[in-house]
Amino acid sequence: MAKEMIAMILAGGQGSRLYALTQKLAKPAVPFGGKYRIIDFPLSNCVNSGIDTVGILTQYQPLVLNEYIGNGQPWDLDRLYGGVHVLPPYQQAKGSNWYKGTANAIYQNLSFIKRYDPEYVIILSGDQICKQDYNDFLQFHKEKGAEFSVAVMEVPWEEASRFGLMVADENDKITEFQEKPKNPKSNLASMGIYIFNRDILEKYLIEDEADPNSSNDFGNNIIPNLLRDGRQMYAYHFNGYWKDVGTISSLWEANMEIMDPETSGINLFDESWKIYSRNSGMTGHKIGSNAVVENSMITDGCRIDGHVKHSILFAGVKVEHGATVEDAVVMGGSVIHAGATVKHCIVAENAEIGVNAVVGAMPADGENGVATVGPGVRIGARALVGPKAMVENDVKDGESQW
Amino acid sequence: MVNTNQDALGIIFPNSYDNQVPELVNERLMASIPFASRYRMIDFLLSSMVNCGIDNVSVIVRKNYRSLMRHLGSGREWDLTRKNGGLNIVPPFAEKTVKVYNGRVEALASILEFLKIQKEKYVIVSDANIVANFDFNAMIDAHIANGADVSIAYKKEEIPYGFMNLQPTLTTDLYYTLELGEDNNRVTKIKTNPKEYGPQNFSMNIYLIARELLIEQIADAYAHGYSYFERDILSPQLETLNVCGYEYTGYTARISDKNSYFNENMRLLQDENLNALFGRSPIYTRIRDDNPTRYIGKSKVKNSMLADGCVIEGEVENCVLFRGVKVGRGAVVKNCILMQDTTIMSNVEMEYVITDKEVTISNGKELKGNDTFPVFVPAYKQI
Repeated sequence: MAKEMIAMILAGGQGSRLYALTQKLAKPAVPFGGKYRIIDFPLSNCVNSGIDTVGILTQYQPLVLNEYIGNGQPWDLDRLYGGVHVLPPYQQAKGSNWYKGTANAIYQNLSFIKRYDPEYVIILSGDQICKQDYNDFLQFHKEKGAEFSVAVMEVPWEEASRFGLMVADENDKITEFQEKPKNPKSNLASMGIYIFNRDILEKYLIEDEADPNSSNDFGNNIIPNLLRDGRQMYAYHFNGYWKDVGTISSLWEANMEIMDPETSGINLFDESWKIYSRNSGMTGHKIGSNAVVENSMITDGCRIDGHVKHSILFAGVKVEHGATVEDAVVMGGSVIHAGATVKHCIVAENAEIGVNAVVGAMPADGENGVATVGPGVRIGARALVGPKAMVENDVKDGESQW
Repeated sequence: MVNTNQDALGIIFPNSYDNQVPELVNERLMASIPFASRYRMIDFLLSSMVNCGIDNVSVIVRKNYRSLMRHLGSGREWDLTRKNGGLNIVPPFAEKTVKVYNGRVEALASILEFLKIQKEKYVIVSDANIVANFDFNAMIDAHIANGADVSIAYKKEEIPYGFMNLQPTLTTDLYYTLELGEDNNRVTKIKTNPKEYGPQNFSMNIYLIARELLIEQIADAYAHGYSYFERDILSPQLETLNVCGYEYTGYTARISDKNSYFNENMRLLQDENLNALFGRSPIYTRIRDDNPTRYIGKSKVKNSMLADGCVIEGEVENCVLFRGVKVGRGAVVKNCILMQDTTIMSNVEMEYVITDKEVTISNGKELKGNDTFPVFVPAYKQI
């Protein structure tokens, strides 16, 4: 039985601008929002949109991601026919290749797509925080009679030159594509989410692969080729919350924004569009007799005896007596020892902040750094971590890192 | 062969002691009573079994089991969706006994044919009114070391109020204490419903017995029309069968009435108790995919345990909140147990209240119980 549309999630990115956070794991596996990982968003969107067949293209540090996805059960994607499949590069009779680019990653898995014989393929990015109904997007694609559609967001004109821009006419038909232009002709930024008619996708991927000069990238090669041939290309306007969490500051910011759904527009508390994740299996969280918790999000397994203000704590975080946590993102299993101060920062998984240590600081005038403590790192007692520091190795007792 | 499968299967009686907590089992049975902010009673037993490598578990249900079926599903969350063994829910077994749990004999007799074709050497039989992170392997080791025919887990504790004041005309649930021989091991007497003060060898109603022996004993007892496993099978045979006591010294929470339910939840607000119960190995439960709990506005929370999915805008002190509870602005909630999806609206004042699931307390209402008599609000009620 053919599927109407299947999804391919590009999850091979290294996320090098997340530094310490992505040393050991791919960007889509980075923890987010208290109990999620970034990939939970596209996966949950797929399931909530009725897409039951998803390929996840992995390449960089796939171990955590593979284990996390498992058989796909937490997303209801353990299916007899379809379901979620992790697709790493593999050896073929004629040799083997890493995924050379986004287009090549899909090219190497054309046989996967063929197996489900879909009419449409949606290409998704595994490193964005976004709640989107792909069904609405597909309806648009069909109504326009499109061969290719791309989801676009209006961005402020002054920022437009940072994006890949779609120039479209009044019917949303794309007439031109500008990749990070100096003089933008449009403010419609590509979200990197595409719907292809399957035959078009196949034709252009095969053609692109035959071109030795191609960088095998959707933005650089496939989209310009489609334009060159005058294909039916349309821009689908998306108005909801969308964030590429590719940098430490955008990741921190997005975490802060989900605590404030009323103004940010990203609502995780939506029964009709749940974001699914693999459960920690820990007991309920416990707020102690002397604890103070203000404007925060806290999940299973946490033990709070200190002061937590406007922060997100992931599963199993401990905040000891006299410790202060403010404007912070503290990932699973980390311990903030007594008297420590943790502010305006990201503390990765299983880190330990020593007694009376200081990590980060509330931003002074004009400064806007987000201190980052890498996974498993131990910050010694009375140690100091500066407001812009990127800590990848242990900091000894009483020492400081800026 | 790799020792992945402990040589024992589990049998759980989820309805036992239902009569002790009539309010709580209005919509359910003992095994599916919510406990400790995100669990149901049976989660502790199932998880303990699974964590000990016991992956063939039968649950013999009798009545009011819709909520339990919904909770257990295919057993996936406990890793009990297995080709061999796994979770086996046995629906009501006989027509001739009208009363619930008129003893284990009929219950076990109804699955004799099933028991005969299992491969495990031992059977663990348990009720679901005790919460513990139980190490069944230690019990099996002791059973073997003692050369026991039957082992009974017991805890040295006082008989709770709820049992001491049991009205025999209202319930058929019995409780037992053990008298041990000089070796402090062999059971010399099983006392039924004793009214004795001070610490007793109080049976936890967890039994370990060889499968073949169980089949033999049950078939025989059933033929004689017996109904109680302890009174009619074990007691008369204490001289011929080697029945041993197994003292359990770990953390337990035993539900014997509404007050004990309240107190046992509250007891987990002490860190040492929480660690004692959850420290050994994980307890699994059904996943609801709630978002993390949000503390917003002027929320003030002290000494409380909360599950995911809550939204707290008011004041909460000494409380256990289950998944999806909302506490509105200006509300003050103290010493309460609020089950899943309870909504407390603005400016409500509550003390010593247990709300069952999906209760709504509307704006400005005041609801107060007492530490010896918590008020209970039934499921779906609006006040």
